[in-house]
Amino acid sequence: MIEVKAVEKKFGRKKILKGVSFTANKGEITCLIGINGVGKTTILNAIMALTPINKGQILIDGKRLDKTTFEKITFIPDVITMLPQMTIAEAMEFMNDFYTCWNQERATELLEFFRLNLSDRIASLSKGNTAKVNLLLGLALDVDYVLMDEPFSGIDMFSREEIANVFTSHLIENRGVIITTHEVGDIEHLIDKVVLLDDGIVTKEFSAEEARENEGKSVIDVMREVYKR
Amino acid sequence: MNVNFNNRDPVYLQIVRYFKEKIAIGELEPGEEIPSRRELANRMKINPNTAQRAYKEMEEQGLIYTERNHPSKITTDTKTLGKVREELIIEAVDMFVTSIRSINVPVEELLDLVRVKYTANDDKEA
Repeated sequence: MIEVKAVEKKFGRKKILKGVSFTANKGEITCLIGINGVGKTTILNAIMALTPINKGQILIDGKRLDKTTFEKITFIPDVITMLPQMTIAEAMEFMNDFYTCWNQERATELLEFFRLNLSDRIASLSKGNTAKVNLLLGLALDVDYVLMDEPFSGIDMFSREEIANVFTSHLIENRGVIITTHEVGDIEHLIDKVVLLDDGIVTKEFSAEEARENEGKSVIDVMREVYKR
Repeated sequence: MNVNFNNRDPVYLQIVRYFKEKIAIGELEPGEEIPSRRELANRMKINPNTAQRAYKEMEEQGLIYTERNHPSKITTDTKTLGKVREELIIEAVDMFVTSIRSINVPVEELLDLVRVKYTANDDKEA
């Protein structure tokens, strides 16, 4: 379980996170939703210790972050972090050198799943394919938790579908996923839990299926209620 | 296996309903093997947890059964299977009755109209 407890974060005098708390379970897909600038990416960065937090605590399976945590959790940012002149094969090799939990078998499977070519250079890829390579590099790690920042943004409908298909496959099964997105419609049926953020705090944390079952509301219905838009 | 999910009913119940429909029209036969939870999740594009929940619900309702280390199967209990069809019909009629009642149509007129419309569709399909 990933526990985010009363996390506060300031950039200069601007307070971005004003005490954010939520949990994300293993084997579940948790979706962070909020308008631009609300601090979704900052939260993911904080979980990965990429940015220091001013207050609060983040625990992964009950433990604070340390260097061994990074064999347990991976972050798929919204931009690819590999050098543009690398080929997909070289990027995979790089990951293999860097992480002991790299799973070559799964990487090959993902390569086929997304219909990518090993010899293609990262710089020459379309936006959709870059996103897929990015996902491949993250998901091929044998980690318990995957953080994804906006995997659907700016990507065509068919590629979005392909990416969404990953969520229903064994590639994600049993892992804990935190995803940020604006395209809720694409994954409405896939997510277990929704965390709504507004003005630096969590305004609502709920199970998507329970909202449908107990209140007859879609995720988007609940969002409209909470954000009053 | 393609379902258009609506966003307001629990997905797992929509899956259960899908199976009930297939059972009622005989597309799924008694004792027939059904996909594994993972396969179902993949085919229907849903969360594996939701598929698991749908199967649990169907097991509780006696629609499917699972023997150890074997794929789940549709029940062979004819009583349960008969009930499925009845339940779907009553549910659909109830919905129709509720929506038509607000228009205050005399029942005879309504029945005639239903007969005409219902069979007209049959002709077209044939």
